[in-house]
Amino acid sequence: MTQTPNTAARRAMRTPGLLLGVVLTVAMIAAALAAPWIAPFDPNEQDVLAILAAPDATHLLGADAFGRDVLSRILWGARISLYVGFLSTLAGVVAGTTVGVVAGYYGGLVDRIVVAATDVLLSFPQLIMGLLLVAVLGASIGNLVLAIAVTAAPAFIRMARGSTLAMRERDFVDACRSLGYSDLRIMFFHILPNILDELVVMASLWLASAIRTESTLAFIGLSVPPPTATWGGIVRDGFDNLLDGPWLALFPSLAILVVMIGLNLIGDGLRDATDPKGAQ
Amino acid sequence: MKRHLLAATALLFATLAPASAETILNVGMAAADVGQIDPHRATSTQDKPVVSWMFNGLVRFKPGSASLEAMEPDLAESWEKSADGKTWTFKLRKGVKFHGDWGEMTADDVVYSLKRAGDPKTSSFAADYAVMETIEAVDPSTVRIVLKKPIPALLGLVANYHGGNIVSKKAAEALGADFRTKPVGTGPFQVVDYKSNESLTFAANPAYFRGVPKIDKIVYRFIPADAARDLAFTSGELDVVYGRQDQRWVERFQKEPHTVVEVVKPAELSVLHLNTAMKPLDDKRVREAVAHAIDRAQLASFKGATTAVPAVSVVPTGYLGTDEKAKLYDYDLAKAKALLKEAGHPDGVAIKAIQTSLPTMLASMQVAQAQLKKAGIDLQLEVVDHQSFHAQIRKDLSGAVYYAAARFPVADVYLKQFYHSAATVGTPTAVTNFSHCAAADAEIDAASIEVDPVKQKELWKTAQKKIIDEVCAVPLFEQLQVWARKDTVDYGYKFEGAIHLGPVITEASTKK
Amino acid sequence: MIRFVIKRLLLAIPTLWAVLTTVFLLVRVVPGDPTIVILGDQASAAARAELREKLGLAKPILAQYVDFMGQILTGDLGRSLATNRPIVDDVAAVLPYTIELTIASLIVGAVIGIPLGVWAAQSRDGFADWFARLFSLAGVSFPAFVSAILLLIVFAVELRWFPVISAPRTDALSERLAALVLPSLNLGLLMVAYVTRVTRSGMLKALGEDYTRTARSKGLAQRTIVWRHAFPNVLVPVVTVVGLYLGVLIGNAVLTEIVFNRPGIGKLIVTALNQRDYTLLQGLMVVSAFAIVVANILTDLTYGLVDPRVKTP
Repeated sequence: MTQTPNTAARRAMRTPGLLLGVVLTVAMIAAALAAPWIAPFDPNEQDVLAILAAPDATHLLGADAFGRDVLSRILWGARISLYVGFLSTLAGVVAGTTVGVVAGYYGGLVDRIVVAATDVLLSFPQLIMGLLLVAVLGASIGNLVLAIAVTAAPAFIRMARGSTLAMRERDFVDACRSLGYSDLRIMFFHILPNILDELVVMASLWLASAIRTESTLAFIGLSVPPPTATWGGIVRDGFDNLLDGPWLALFPSLAILVVMIGLNLIGDGLRDATDPKGAQ
Repeated sequence: MKRHLLAATALLFATLAPASAETILNVGMAAADVGQIDPHRATSTQDKPVVSWMFNGLVRFKPGSASLEAMEPDLAESWEKSADGKTWTFKLRKGVKFHGDWGEMTADDVVYSLKRAGDPKTSSFAADYAVMETIEAVDPSTVRIVLKKPIPALLGLVANYHGGNIVSKKAAEALGADFRTKPVGTGPFQVVDYKSNESLTFAANPAYFRGVPKIDKIVYRFIPADAARDLAFTSGELDVVYGRQDQRWVERFQKEPHTVVEVVKPAELSVLHLNTAMKPLDDKRVREAVAHAIDRAQLASFKGATTAVPAVSVVPTGYLGTDEKAKLYDYDLAKAKALLKEAGHPDGVAIKAIQTSLPTMLASMQVAQAQLKKAGIDLQLEVVDHQSFHAQIRKDLSGAVYYAAARFPVADVYLKQFYHSAATVGTPTAVTNFSHCAAADAEIDAASIEVDPVKQKELWKTAQKKIIDEVCAVPLFEQLQVWARKDTVDYGYKFEGAIHLGPVITEASTKK
Repeated sequence: MIRFVIKRLLLAIPTLWAVLTTVFLLVRVVPGDPTIVILGDQASAAARAELREKLGLAKPILAQYVDFMGQILTGDLGRSLATNRPIVDDVAAVLPYTIELTIASLIVGAVIGIPLGVWAAQSRDGFADWFARLFSLAGVSFPAFVSAILLLIVFAVELRWFPVISAPRTDALSERLAALVLPSLNLGLLMVAYVTRVTRSGMLKALGEDYTRTARSKGLAQRTIVWRHAFPNVLVPVVTVVGLYLGVLIGNAVLTEIVFNRPGIGKLIVTALNQRDYTLLQGLMVVSAFAIVVANILTDLTYGLVDPRVKTP
């Protein structure tokens, strides 16, 4: 019944979607990392002559209302958007999983409190919670990461707790206990590896969600302050000048879309690959 | 398949839409929601035009004008002033009715309104009315105002502007706090509906003393997103739209068919206030460096020649008392760098500035930011939403404050609010002196009680010079108001100035 | 069963209390000051301090908390700081728009998602399946503001089929519907994606079960098998996924409302936040959190109704 990582990997290789997803995502990450070398302009350099220029040989994707090169801004913006997305997901996953595993393992009062707190957090629309947190904390990269992590954590708490709860009753946990292993060791060396598959799948989907949340906050105007480029902010700038050229909003939107599709393909592919019932 | 279905549905809607016999004027405004439409509280750009549709003063700014010189009778038929200029007597028009069933307007309402305008509990303009010693009703159609001292522009205080708007005493007392959303005046239109975040609806006042308005209804829609507002106008969903104060916008809309773009006064002066109590701006040399690093002409040209002009002084142009030829700092990068070096910052200097996320203000600040960068001055923007911005700059948290404002067109008001030490942020009497400027207190105070207009102007001029020399603030540019309308709309006058920041819709305004 | 219902409802009470407290605390720590909105930017510091006093913002936090809880218990949400209107009125004014939009987008989700999922399941790995996968991939990948802008450009600006401002000017049904089409398509896109996925996998599972095989061997028509035998199995998962993503829906509604200029709870929250209208903000947060808590209860109850094995956690 249990599958070896080997078959899962082989199945993953057979899923074209997953491969495509990896290619898209890696390409975008590479572009972001290479921004300082491949971006044709300084993303914040204003050029009065190029204001709202249509795409041409100089400005491949046109220029915005300040005459800043849109392509360069998208490339540099990718750094911020991806960075905030990755870091906040990581923080949410680590914090959420830890809390969830501990709550599930010990049960009792700790568990009740954690469940109650999770319920409360989940009672707010994710985006609105993020909005309020950023308003409270102020918009900086660190605070954005924190706010988005807080909105992501409850889902991981729930998942980790549920899985741990089921795992706790298994024989191997009893065996570990009788061997005198410490609780910490049991939780993080024996239970955690067993829920890792599920965790990775969920994390990849949440990563998409985190990047979307960041760009959404930026679109509303609550993200890293200008002139720093972030994807949502570039879309917003473009939206404000929609009549002058739809491309201003379209190109950064496309960038977001590519990453979203890439990550969702990875998430779906991984889920299919790790699903013990087989790729359905 | 889906396409056809959608087309069919759209067609269905088109045929179902009822033909309307009413003349409805749709106006689009750049705001998320209304602020305050109580005339004595209305200070935001989105509130002022609306107030001008609902209220009258004793006198009024000629529709389409923003000049103190072009005043004409409104609720008062005539007036006279005593020889010493301190006592003013106004004869009121008879038979003027308030909106709805609130009865006839009498001297009592005028007295009540002006007193209300002078009370800080009910008015945002109380300070302007402190000069009034007594306001009394001589008889039901006569009002007498006695001043503590003669002032240059009394008519401005009793005009259809800010505190001069006349409200119904009965309604204000009966409605209490609800008066804020249902104010009652005598103007051509009355508010009939408010949809939070969406629109205000006004109906024609059939009893308006100048005649029944030709437009039946005005729907004033709040559309904060620039693009959505523009699109709604071009697609014909709006008849009048608040324009972007931007050259390209003006040019683009001038090319739109059946569209008239109007660029009007008053200008809002954008100023960079420098906090003289905060490092590194406490050093005058650093402030001078900032002043030399700002290229006013380039800023104005970024904004566009049609809609913006370089600033002339630390007070907006055209106000009574503005020194139109004030000596400002030249754009001189080398000098700026030299000053910084002299001040002990050879590698440049960083200035923290809290800045609003409001697009137009943010855009200008970003241009200034790019200019200062060339002189090695790193303007570090901490961008917050507009309300946090207003709160934080008043807590004395910002090194440089970018502020754009138009005030009552007499230098006194602007000088007192922005450059008098009594208005310094962080103090109990604070208004908007962000720089802790105290360079010209004596002149500002002396000017406000000076009876001789020539001497008064001289004092105001000296005050401006001292403020510029101390570099409390770097004036940037002045921005005109921009509005566009469909050519089917006729305001009924030439729209050149908008003291109310928007077109006044009068009884004579029409829409074909 | 009734005991289960009662128990579930009782369990919601502490959650609601904690939600209310969280709202109260969060709203209090949002920096800013509503007095500038009310008094205008020329107001002096003294006048603003006086107003703060009058609005009860100067009271000790605990006293404010007691007031707040007292009000909520009596069903009163207080008055807006900015407009002084009862918040219940403001909520009542925009709630119909939000409910209308939510229901419409759920209908879009069901009407497109269910047939698509069923169709896809029947031709596994065939054209329909690929199409459904691509469609739902697009659905989950589009940030709400991106799809909204695209819809706006294509259908309102270029084709001019629908208004740019999706706020009906009159109460006429035609206007209301015209203003609803694009926003509900936009919001429904995500729902379509989820519903398609759940329907597809549910159908695949059901079609592989013994009873459908038996039905097939008995020679029943494919259509009967699909709709009569297999389809009912996916209803519960569909309801669940709808309940689960209601929060996401409300969040996305904010963006949809902003881009299409449509009134609604989400947009009002953003305005209240921008104006620092604390009482309005907390009132709206209470309403939206309440909606989600209720939706969660309903989802749980549906579970309980259908699957008797479900016990309270």
